[in-house]
Amino acid sequence: MKIRRTQMTIERGQVRRRDFLRTLPTAAMAAGMLSWSDRLALAAAQNKSSHRACILLWMAGGPSPYETLSPLEGHGNGGNTKSISTSVPGIRVAEHLPHIAAQMNDFALIRSLTSKEGNHNRASFLLHTGYLPTPTVKYPSLGAVAALQLGEKRTALPPFVRIGRSTRLRVGGGLLGTQFDPFAHRDPKNPPGNTELATDTNRYRRRLNLLAQLQETQNVAAGVKDSHQATYNKASRMILSPEMRAFDLSLEPKQIRDAYGNSDFASGCLLARRLVEAGVTFVEVNCRGWDTHQDNFTKTHELAGQVDQPTAALIKDLKQRGLLDSTLVVWMGEFGRTPKINARGGRDHYPRVFSAAMAGAGIRGGQVIGRMSDDGSQVVDRPVSVPDLFQTYCRSLELDPESESISSLGRPIKVVEEGKAVEELF
Amino acid sequence: MKIQCFLLTLAETGPKTSLPLFLLGVILYFPWAIAGFATAQTTAEYGGSDFKTVTKQIDARLAEATDGVPDEIDDATFLSRAWLDLVGIRPAANEIEAFQRDNNPHKRNDVVQQLLADSRFGQHWGRYWRDVILARRADERALRLVSEGLAAAVAERINHNARWDQIATDFITASGDVRSHGETGLFLAQKGEPEGITAEVARIFLGIQIQCAQCHDHPTDQWKREQFHQLAAFFPRVGIRPVRNSQPRNFEVYSRNHKNKKGNGKGKNKKPLEYFMPNLENPEASGLITKPVFFLTGHSLELGTADQDRREALANWLTDAEENPWFARAYVNRLWTELIGDGFYDSVDDIGPERNCRHPEVLSILAENFIATGYDINWLFQTIIATAAYQSAMPMHGATIGTTASQPLRSDAVFDNLVQVLEIDRSAKGRGNKKQKEKARQVFQQAFFYDPSLPRDEINPTIPQALLMMNSRQINQLLRGDRRGTMLARLLAEQEDNTLVVASLYLRCLGRLPTDQERSTCLKHIKARKNRSEGCEDILWSLLNTAEFRRRN
Repeated sequence: MKIRRTQMTIERGQVRRRDFLRTLPTAAMAAGMLSWSDRLALAAAQNKSSHRACILLWMAGGPSPYETLSPLEGHGNGGNTKSISTSVPGIRVAEHLPHIAAQMNDFALIRSLTSKEGNHNRASFLLHTGYLPTPTVKYPSLGAVAALQLGEKRTALPPFVRIGRSTRLRVGGGLLGTQFDPFAHRDPKNPPGNTELATDTNRYRRRLNLLAQLQETQNVAAGVKDSHQATYNKASRMILSPEMRAFDLSLEPKQIRDAYGNSDFASGCLLARRLVEAGVTFVEVNCRGWDTHQDNFTKTHELAGQVDQPTAALIKDLKQRGLLDSTLVVWMGEFGRTPKINARGGRDHYPRVFSAAMAGAGIRGGQVIGRMSDDGSQVVDRPVSVPDLFQTYCRSLELDPESESISSLGRPIKVVEEGKAVEELF
Repeated sequence: MKIQCFLLTLAETGPKTSLPLFLLGVILYFPWAIAGFATAQTTAEYGGSDFKTVTKQIDARLAEATDGVPDEIDDATFLSRAWLDLVGIRPAANEIEAFQRDNNPHKRNDVVQQLLADSRFGQHWGRYWRDVILARRADERALRLVSEGLAAAVAERINHNARWDQIATDFITASGDVRSHGETGLFLAQKGEPEGITAEVARIFLGIQIQCAQCHDHPTDQWKREQFHQLAAFFPRVGIRPVRNSQPRNFEVYSRNHKNKKGNGKGKNKKPLEYFMPNLENPEASGLITKPVFFLTGHSLELGTADQDRREALANWLTDAEENPWFARAYVNRLWTELIGDGFYDSVDDIGPERNCRHPEVLSILAENFIATGYDINWLFQTIIATAAYQSAMPMHGATIGTTASQPLRSDAVFDNLVQVLEIDRSAKGRGNKKQKEKARQVFQQAFFYDPSLPRDEINPTIPQALLMMNSRQINQLLRGDRRGTMLARLLAEQEDNTLVVASLYLRCLGRLPTDQERSTCLKHIKARKNRSEGCEDILWSLLNTAEFRRRN
């Protein structure tokens, strides 16, 4: 095993060596030739200059802000939920989020998100695209826009991956085309469906050749054939690529897996990190069940328990690998919930006030944007609209918000219309 | 040249060739060798709207408007096209054979008649309407609860020659438990919410996007905001509730004509019995109580009218051709777009008085005669399929109206063709296991589903589709040539001549014979592989993965 140590230079305690890594066979890592922290440092060095990426932790159903990021202690609307202090003096979150609390230096909280849309489908669409759904324009989701502007050729993997069961989310490439739809991966604990070859590689390649040859002369419109062939090329490039290993969580050391935890959402977060590392631009990890019309307190407690540890672990892990500077992590859902507790101990839909947490990719952590009233019923300071939020995404991800795509009716559609990025976040 | 080569191959392998395939070869290459006997043509007449007369009028108009019509397609292409459009699968080899042999000048119309009478016609189009309605669902549960029932409800009606106005009326006036009354699917898909139902009824049955007027007067149409809400006022009493103790869980659509006094203040029963148009300035306020008015005719009902009466009245006014032409025009435009690949309007569900219409006179001829037949669905299929526009060759560069464009098959058609090609129903596994087959159908639905109301050029192939077709374990097992009971194993055992094996695979997969070049590519591949079965598996795999397999040409 030959490692070209002579080319290694150490700078401020970090290895700055991409050449080194290229020549370092994976076996060396697996064989334990390098210590764990060395490996992390190496990975950090490798990732440092990488492009922007985004991980959206999507809390489907609309998480209650009062039991998560924006507790209402001291007011009847808050129920019995206690708040806890965080690593940043003055910022408190609900007691169910101890891990996130410990990581607060990296998080910025927005407590003044506000919209008018209280229907799940429409609000999910709004928070994924920046627009309300209309029957005439199929707005693309942010993931598709990011894939288009940043990601297409960075990896053999699809630039936009959606992890977990996401029944309400049918938003994807929209007018950008199905090639920008998210690659849906329902169960992060197993490899994605139909990505394992049915024959040996040589025979698979022969089949692909024969297919291309037979198709070439078929009497099908050229454009149709081209896009069909391009899709097959992409699919086969992906499944034959070494990057497919990113989907295999068993390759991850036990200590890292343990740090994330055991839930499906934890696996999703870990996989998201592996995918970003492999060059995927936009990963969405879904956690369902936040639609707590009944029994809000038990349910949010349980759900917060599922997401708290992996969310914090993800930030820590990205940071250790030097990926946090280029990766935006967003934790949110489609709307908030009524501050008044209903007769069934639940909270109903409430788009007027909701919260989000953001970290990485230029976002300055350890701060809170906006404020809601003591009873949680309205924004009293620094309202952030959905367009504002999308302008902020664009700023953080270095996307051009003005770039236009043409709808099927010939209307130019900007990435975001209106709104201003939340300057204080940067 | 082609024929000679083929005959030579036949002669070389003649004695070993099985009789059916030998006949097939002869028939395909000498359609004139075996004369069919012309059968008397039965001309379908519907209330004076003889489809042939109408077809002639349309052909003349379109020929005038465009630079003539491209060449007519050959019999095999026509047959595939008609089968895929009417029943969703390609014709089997013996059907192609019989059709080519047939010398009857009316054979194209005859086969259309025969397919219209086939129960698979209703099934295929029942699934189409299921996709149209469920594609815009606001509630995911609808998919599980009513998918099957919705397709079956439409299928049954189409197969019993129900008229389009009857089908629309059944949807609008539907009630009962959703699993056995699939026509309730539109309400279920919209969660029983008046706004969603209104948008969908107008979009699907009238081709009008009135929901643009939900929050403001329509930006590009004449519709006013209150007209949307007046239409919604036909539906405030549509109720959806769970069926008690149902197993599996079931819901029913019912008329909610009274507030339930026993309903201990729980959710749904508090809903008002009249429709209130929201106050935009103050969304918290209860809004303006609104009377049902049908925006296209101005007919209205009084407040307090019972649910059934509201919906029946709407169905009557909506389907009344005397006063409302848009019901007929929307269906004609949709079907023309489906069959020709390019419609009179840019979109199947955004037509209306202020939209730009191409060849309005052709649309009018069709719509008027469709009305004259009493909204006879079969008549409209037969007429459109008989036009030169339908029977013309596919334009290679950009479709213009009047020429049939290539279309991606919908998910069920992809699945059904695969089942047919691989003879899955004949294998022991496929025969016994209906449930498994339905599960597989859903896998295809997930990968291949598209909203049929979208323009076809927006439907692109996707990576999951490619992965499914290339790597699915099941498909790969079923296309093996060395496994007992598979189609390919049977074919290889029956037929020693590789030329005929290749021909048979092309017929099965693509509904046509290979070209000389394709045949030689395939034969070369088999030869190079040495293992015959493996070579043929590769060919079958490749054909199933081509764009042509997934499309209707």
